[in-house]
Amino acid sequence: MEFDFRVVADSWRFLAYGVGVTLLLSVVSGVASLAAGFGVASLRLYGPAWVRWPVVLYIDSMRAIPVLVVLVWTFFALPIVSGITMSPFTAALVGLTIHLAAYAAEIVRAGIESVRPGQARAALALGMSRAQVLRRIVLPQAIVRMLPAFGSLLSITIKDTAIASVIAVPELMRQSETVAGQSFQPIEVFTVAMALYFTMLFPVTRGVDAVYRRVAHLGRS
Amino acid sequence: MTLDWSVVWEHREALAAGTATTFLLTIATMAIAVPGGIAVALLRMYGAVPLRALAAGYVELFRNLPLILVVYWAFYVVPILTGVGLSALATGLAALALNVTAYNAETFRAGINSIRRGQVEAALALGMSRGQALRRIVVPQALRRILPVLASTWVSLFKDTSLVSVIAVTELAYVSMQVRAQTFRVLEMLTAMAALYWLLGYPQAKLVDWMQRRFRVTE
Amino acid sequence: MGAAADPRTVRAKSGGATVVRYLEVVKRYGGFTALAGVTLEVHAGEVVCLIGPSGSGKSTLLRCTNGLETIDGGEIEFEGERLARDERTLRTMRQRMGMVFQSFELFPHLTAQQNVAEGPRTVQRVGNAEADRRATAMLAKVGLADKAASYPSALSGGQQQRVAIARALAMEPDVMLFDEPTSALDPETIGEVLSVMKALADEGMTMVVVTHEMSFARRVGDWVAVFDAGRLVEQGPPDQIFDAPRTERTRDFLGHLGWAG
Repeated sequence: MEFDFRVVADSWRFLAYGVGVTLLLSVVSGVASLAAGFGVASLRLYGPAWVRWPVVLYIDSMRAIPVLVVLVWTFFALPIVSGITMSPFTAALVGLTIHLAAYAAEIVRAGIESVRPGQARAALALGMSRAQVLRRIVLPQAIVRMLPAFGSLLSITIKDTAIASVIAVPELMRQSETVAGQSFQPIEVFTVAMALYFTMLFPVTRGVDAVYRRVAHLGRS
Repeated sequence: MTLDWSVVWEHREALAAGTATTFLLTIATMAIAVPGGIAVALLRMYGAVPLRALAAGYVELFRNLPLILVVYWAFYVVPILTGVGLSALATGLAALALNVTAYNAETFRAGINSIRRGQVEAALALGMSRGQALRRIVVPQALRRILPVLASTWVSLFKDTSLVSVIAVTELAYVSMQVRAQTFRVLEMLTAMAALYWLLGYPQAKLVDWMQRRFRVTE
Repeated sequence: MGAAADPRTVRAKSGGATVVRYLEVVKRYGGFTALAGVTLEVHAGEVVCLIGPSGSGKSTLLRCTNGLETIDGGEIEFEGERLARDERTLRTMRQRMGMVFQSFELFPHLTAQQNVAEGPRTVQRVGNAEADRRATAMLAKVGLADKAASYPSALSGGQQQRVAIARALAMEPDVMLFDEPTSALDPETIGEVLSVMKALADEGMTMVVVTHEMSFARRVGDWVAVFDAGRLVEQGPPDQIFDAPRTERTRDFLGHLGWAG
C-alpha cells in the first residue's frame, strides 16, 4: 500500500485557509463566550432572584443539546424564525458562542464560589465596598483557579469548530473533506488534518498547564 | 410562514428508532470504554516503560483530536487499512470507543493518583502487598471520585453520538435531518430534534449534578 | 567523640535482645543526604525516642525501618535478620512491626472496627471472627470501644490516632514505630494519645518514637537519640540528654526549645 502525499502538498493553500478559518472561529467564539460567560455568571450570582431560573435553564439546556444540533438549528432554522440570513461562518460563530457561554458561565461561577468566604469577610472588615471586594480580592484569586478549566474549554472550542463543517463553514475539517473527496485519497488527507489539529491542540493544553503552575500560588488562600 | 408540527408525530416511529440507536451507541461505547479505560490507565501507571509511553501517547492523541475527524478517518481509512468492510454503525462505535477510552483512562488515572500516598503507606505498613493495597484501600476511595466524572462523560458521549450522523448512522440526529429533507419542514424537524435531545439529556445532566453532590469528597 | 560511639556498654535496660539494629545507615535523595551513617540499637522492651530539629533525619530513619524507604548504605537488622529487599519477605517483616503515622492515615471508607480488623483479616488471614475479636479488644484497650461503628470523619484527631494505634496493635507486632504521633493534634487531645503510649510502654512494648514532646521522652523514654543534619550527635538515657547533655548541638537544640528541665 502506497501513500502519496503530493495531493496534500498541492492543496496546501486550500488547507491552510481552513486552518486560518479554524483559528479565527476558535478565537472569536472563545473570546465572545468568555465575555458572555462572565455576564451570565454575574447574573446568576448577583442578579435579581427572578433571573436565576431562566439562566439555570439556559445553562442546563446547553449541557443537554449537542453542538451539532445547535449549529444546524442556528443556520437553518433561526433564519426562518427571525428573518435574518447568516453566512455559515456567522451562524457557526453565534451557535458556538451560545453553546460555549453556558460552560464558561459555570466555570466562572465555580471559580468565584471556590474562593474562601473568609477572604471576602476580611476585605469587608477593612472597609471595602462589595464591588471592591469582588474586583480586588475575589476575582483575582478566582481567575487563577479558572485557568485550567478555561484552557480545557479552549481545547473543546477548537475541536467543536470542526463540527461547523456540517454547515459548510470552510474550516479545516470541511476543507479536508473537499480535498479528500476530489482526490480519492482520504487516508493521506485526513492523516494530515489529524496532524494539523493535534499541532493546534497539544500546545493549548500543555501551555495552560505551564501557565497555571506558575500562577497557582496566587490563587491559594 | 405556516408551520406543520404534525410531521413530527407522523414520523414518530423513525424518530423513536433513531433515539434507540442513540442509546444503543452510548451504552455499547461505555461498555467498551470503561474496561478499556481501566486497562489503559493500569498500563500507563504500572506497565513496563515502553507500554507506559504507548498508553500515554494513545491518551494524548485522542484527547487532542476532534471526534468528528476521528469518525471520518475511521470511516474512510479503516476499510482500506484492514481490508475489512465494517458497517457505518460499527465504524461509528469504534470511533466513539477509541475516543471515550482515552478520556476514561485519564479519569481513572487521576482518580487513583488523587488518593494520598499516606494511605498506601499505611496499608503497606500493615504488611499488605501492593495489589492488596490497591484493591482494598485505593480503589474503593478512588471510585467515589471517579463515578461522578464517568457520569459526566456519559452525558457528553450521549451528545457526541450525534456526530456519527455524518457517516449516515441512523441515530436521532441523522433520522431527524432525513425527515427534514423529505418533508421540507425545516423549522419543525430541527426544533423537534433539539427538543428531543433536550428531553433526553436534561434529566441525565441533573442526575450527574446529584451524583457530584452525593459523592462530594470531604477530606 | 564518645557521643556517637557504640552505646551497648551503657544501657538502662540492657540484657534484652536487640530488636532493631541500625549500622551506619545512609539515605540519600538525589544530592541531599538525609542520613549520613546512623548507628543505633533498640532492645526488647525499650522505648527509644528520636529527637532533633525538623529535617534532621529522624522520620527518615523510621521509614527505612519498615522498608517504606530503601537505604543507600549500611544495614538495618530486624530481630537478627537483615531487612529484606524483596517485597514478599519484607511484607512478613512488616507484619511484626506496627507503624503509627503523623497524619493517622485511617482508611476513610471503613469504620473504626473495620480499620483495626483490616490487618488481621486481609494480611494475616486469621478469619473474620478472630479479626473482629482482636479489633474489639484493641479498641477497648485504647478506650474507644464505644466508637467501633464510627467512621474516621466522625472522630476527633486524638480519637483517630488512638484507632490508628489500635490498628497497628491488632497485628500483634514485636515493635511499634511512632512517626511524630502527636504533631498533628490539638493540644487538648495530645494527652489522651500520650497516655495510651505510656500504657503500652509500661506493658513492655518495644517502641521507637519520633517526637517533639520532650516531657514524654523524659518520663517514658529509656533511651534518647538526638539527631542533627542526618547524624546522631548524642544518645543516652533521658537523664543524661536532658539534664547533662554532652554535646554543644544537643544543648543548642534543647535551648531553642526553651527546655528548662
